[in-house]
Formats: sequence, C-alpha cells, structure tokens
Amino acid sequence: MNLHVIGANLTVSIKSFYRDKTVVFFRIAFPVILILVFGTIFMDRGNEIFALGIQDLDRTKASAQIAHAIGLSGRFKITKVAPGLDATQFAKDHKLNLVLVIPKGSEESLVRRMKSDDPKAFVSLRAVHDPSSFGVSTKMQVLSMVLAAMNQKMSGKAAFIKLSETSILKKKYRFIEFFVPGIIALAVMTASLFGSVNVNAELRQKGVFRKLSTTPITRTDWILSTVLYQFILAVISTIVMLLVSYAAFNVSLAINAWLLVFVALDVFTFVGLGMILSRVAKEAESAAAASDALMFPMMFLSGTFFPIEMMPDFLQKFAKVLPLYYVNEGLRASMVSVDNMAALKSAAIIGVFAVVVFVLGIMITSFGDEA
Amino acid sequence: MIKDNQYAIEVDGLTKRYGGLLAVNNISFTVRKGEVFAFLGVNGAGKTTTVEIIETIRPLTSGRVSILGMDVTKKKRDIIRRIGVLPQGFNSFDRITVRETIQYFLRLFGRSNSEADGLINLVDLKEKSTEQFKTLSGGLKQRLGIAVALVNDPEVVFLDEPTTGLDPRSRREVWDVLLSLKNKGKTVFLTTHYMEEAELLADRVAIIHKGKIIAIDPPAQLTEDYDNYIILTLKSPKGKASEIIREVGFEPINDKRGDIKVRLEHTEDVQRILNAVKEGGASFHGLDVRTPNLEEVFLKLTGDSIHEETAGERLAK
Repeated sequence: MNLHVIGANLTVSIKSFYRDKTVVFFRIAFPVILILVFGTIFMDRGNEIFALGIQDLDRTKASAQIAHAIGLSGRFKITKVAPGLDATQFAKDHKLNLVLVIPKGSEESLVRRMKSDDPKAFVSLRAVHDPSSFGVSTKMQVLSMVLAAMNQKMSGKAAFIKLSETSILKKKYRFIEFFVPGIIALAVMTASLFGSVNVNAELRQKGVFRKLSTTPITRTDWILSTVLYQFILAVISTIVMLLVSYAAFNVSLAINAWLLVFVALDVFTFVGLGMILSRVAKEAESAAAASDALMFPMMFLSGTFFPIEMMPDFLQKFAKVLPLYYVNEGLRASMVSVDNMAALKSAAIIGVFAVVVFVLGIMITSFGDEA
Repeated sequence: MIKDNQYAIEVDGLTKRYGGLLAVNNISFTVRKGEVFAFLGVNGAGKTTTVEIIETIRPLTSGRVSILGMDVTKKKRDIIRRIGVLPQGFNSFDRITVRETIQYFLRLFGRSNSEADGLINLVDLKEKSTEQFKTLSGGLKQRLGIAVALVNDPEVVFLDEPTTGLDPRSRREVWDVLLSLKNKGKTVFLTTHYMEEAELLADRVAIIHKGKIIAIDPPAQLTEDYDNYIILTLKSPKGKASEIIREVGFEPINDKRGDIKVRLEHTEDVQRILNAVKEGGASFHGLDVRTPNLEEVFLKLTGDSIHEETAGERLAK
C-alpha cells in the first residue's frame, strides 16, 4: 500500500467529482430530494386523515348524529353526498374511494333497539368503495374500528377487553424516522456501486487502465483509494441528508458511532461488488446494466421504503440474503431503536460480506490484459 | 541471448498465441541503448502485441524478453520504474487539467510536482496547462501522453502509434517532440503506420508481417537493399491506363491518391509503357520515375499496403 499513490488517486477523484455537476447533483441533491418527497408524502402516516363521503338517506336527527359521531373520531374528512344522488356515480365522479350510505329507517331501528332491546332492530350502513384504490382497505378498517367504538358506547356498558400500548422504542417515531436511515443506506449503496462500476468500466474501455498498468500503482492502492473516496462522499452526503431531515421534518434520530460503521461497511461492500461487476462486464454499458440488475431488487426488497414484514414470506426470506437489508437493519437499530446488540449483529453479518467481496474485488481486478 | 549491456531491449524467440491464433511467431531482435527503433506493420501484423509484451502489459506464450537486462516476466515492478509508455490512443481522466494529469503520474512514481513544468515545456503545452483533458485536440492529447510517458525520466520510451489519427500539422508537432527525445539520447521504441515517420526518426526499422519479422535494418539500408528496381508513377490518369499497362505485361498499383504506380526492372520499360498508354488513347497529367522509398520496400516485402486504421476498423476489433 502506497499512501502517495492513494493520495494522488483521491485528489484526481475529488477534482473529477466537483467538476462534474451532474455527478454532484445525483450524489448530493438526489437523495435529499427523495427524503423531501417521500418525507412529505408519508410524514403524517399513522395519523392520516381519510376522505370519506357520507350520504344520509334517512335525514333524521339520529342519522345526523351517526354522521357526526364518525366525524368526531378525527380520522375522516367528510364530504356530504346529497340524498338524491347515486352514491356509486358520485364516488366515481369525485374520485372518492369510499362513500358511506346511511339507509332510510335508521332512526326507527334505533328507537326500536333503545325501547325494546329488539336484536332484530339494527342499522346496516352500506360502504360503496373502489377495491382497486390504494389504501381503501386501511380506510375501511379504520371505519370499522370507529363504528365498533360507537356500538360499544351505545351499549352503555364499559368495555371488558381494553388495550394499552407499550412501545419497544424509547419514543414515538414517525414514518420519516424509519425512512431516513433507509435512504442513507440506499444512497451510499447506489453511489458506491455505480461509482466503482461506471468509473472502472469507463477507464478500462478508454485504455486508462492499460496506461496505469505501466506505473507503480497496485490494484490494492486503486481499490483502497476508491473506497476512501466513496467513503468521504458518503459521509458528506449523509451529513447533508441528516441536516435536511432535521430542518424539514424535525426528525428524532440517534447519531452515534454506528452510523459511521454502517456507512463504511456499506461503501466497502458495494465498492467490492462494483469491482467484481466491472471485471466481469468489461464494457461500460453492460457493467451499468449489471449494476442495475443488482441494485433494483435490493432497492425495493431490502426494507428501504417499507418494512419487509409487509412482503410475502418467500420475499422476506429473499430479503435476508441481500446485503442492503443488513445495512438498513443496522442503521435503524442504531439510529431509531438504539439497540446496540441488534446493530452489532447486523454489523457482523454485513462485515463478513464486505470482507469477502472486497478481497474478491482486489483479487480479480486487473489493469492489464490477461489474454 | 546477448548479455552485453549495450542493449536496452532483447527479444529472443518470442511467441504469442491467442487460443488457436498465432499472433507473434518466434521473433528475435535487439534494440541498442540510445537507439530509435521503429516497428512497422499493417494492422494485425503483431506489432502492438509485441510492444505490449515488452512493456509488461501482456503475458507472453514462450520465448524470452528482457529490458535493461531484466526479464519482463519476473521483474515487472522494477522494469516499469525505468520505462515510459505511450499506449495506442492515449487517454486520461476527462476533467483533470494538463498540469494535474502530469502531476498525478509524477506522484504515482513518487516524484515531485515541481517537475511538471519541465515536462509541460518539453511538449510545448504551457498555454494549455490549465485545460481539462476532454477539451484537448487529438494532437494535444498525444503530446500530453508523451509528457506522461516521461514523468519517471525513463531510460526506454515506448510510443505505440503516437501520430495515428493526427492531422499533418499535429503529426509534425509530435515529431518535434520525438526528435528532442532522440537528441537527449533516450532509447525509443516506436510502432507506426507512417513510413515517413520511420524514415525521419528511426535509426533502425523492423518490419513485422503476419507475426514474423521479415526485415530489420536502418531505413537507408533497407531502401538500398531493394534499389534494384524503379517506380514509374502516372499522375491523375484518365481512360483505361491500368488495363493497357496490364496488357503490356506489367502490374499497375492504384494508390490512394488515384495515381498509378508500376514497378519496373529496366529503364527502357518506362518508354514501352508510355508508348502503350498513348497508343491506347489514355492520358495522364504528369509522371515520376524514381528509386523506391521505404513505403515501396514495405509493399514489396509484405504485399500489403500500409494504411491508417479507420474508425470503422477500430470499432470492428
């Protein structure tokens, strides 16, 4: 290992970086845009207010109270649908995926139930919904919970089974706090992978590697300087992402040494993988296609954008062989749940993976031609 | 193998195979210290393979190659500190300036950044020293490549087609740099397509054809050895001049300028051809009769016309 050589490579890489505005944008600004966009979309997830249409066909005091009680739950923004309209058509015309219809005779049923406790007297609300619409099932579940609470209250009896919450986290966290560590892991992965694959394939194709093979630089010097360069950029990019997350969403994330450990392991792993890919796929175009093929499954299946528990069993098993999954898990363990043991476990797994691919990367990288 | 240390490069029985293809076929030659040695051959003749084996970039199949007394298969790390290489179609980091590129390669060899000025002056790139590599013309890139090849003050400099693809003016600028290297007493191993370049710069020329060296001598000696014929050139011919020449028993060659060249053993054949052309109703705008130059010697030896590789040919490789 020659520090002069590593220093020379680092200087060239950093100068090439800041002189290429497109690279600066994709490296620094793009992850920030992702955080701002997804953070804004999902900021209030968990306390989401759902749009709900209510059509009162009974037009009585009791039916008005039902509608009012649903509104009091605080979970719905209610749009009144005139009794004379077709609820289905209204839903289509106004892009409402759920319209609740209170039928005629609701008050009469209510009175019968109150006076004679007649079990045959009930109100059957009709939920006109679009099952193809995103989130409508969640909305109907929330509505069912609100109606269950109303039923229980109307019965006049205290609830027998109650639920009290104990969070395994020290504080209440929002989606954005789940999301930011995932985006850090993703941004570092894509930059390290693409950075090493594209640069190496391009330099090989242009013959720069051939020239380097006639200088004292070794492949270890080359890969270490690539890792160091990617690590410096990853740290800068992570700092920017965290600053924006604090400023825009007031996130509550623990910043500790684990963050640096996982960023470093992320860089080592994906620079190593990039070196392997750029050796296997020698031309820039095929190398970029190979890194896309590697990156996209990891982007969506490693728990970056949503927890892997939302996925089917077989995909969950698949996720657990992806290195990015352990970076995500490790970063969340350190930044969200502040669980050192869980972070250590993830670090150990991704660490072993990083060592294997990094050593493999050094072994198969070559400046010259073996032919 | 000659052990005398007067030789910078010694190649003995070098063979290189790519699978079933025999690219270099048991060649042997030496290059003396301080000599400018030109390696001539058409595309695919084996010249770049040979030079890359000597430069330690490519492994050999059999034979022995040494530079400055060191075996290329055993002493790569020692050799690369004492040689300078301009690879074919030199390229560098797009967004790095001329000065920074030289400084980068200086640092790879553990040398001081302050040496950059001397190299920039040597290749006459002072006015372009702050320009990024991607903005340089082909000629400027090649001059920068030569400066980069010299960062470690090498004893042997390899220049693989340093002027290919350059316009005549850029080519002459590169030649000036090569002449200055020659004057400094560097050993230069030059591969080229250009006979004019070899004639101007080289002390000795080796012609490689289908993986074998078929001639090796100073340029003047080569032309003298083959001075037993004359070349008749008919400039800008009109009509069926080629057919007429063929009918009287000679083989015309159409060159890239559209002229017709005929190789003749006897001076009286000139008159025979001119009479036949005139009687056959063909014409021409001028004529030239002379002894052969290096290009014609090459043509006679190889049967191939040497030409610059086109972009299409390069892509097809």
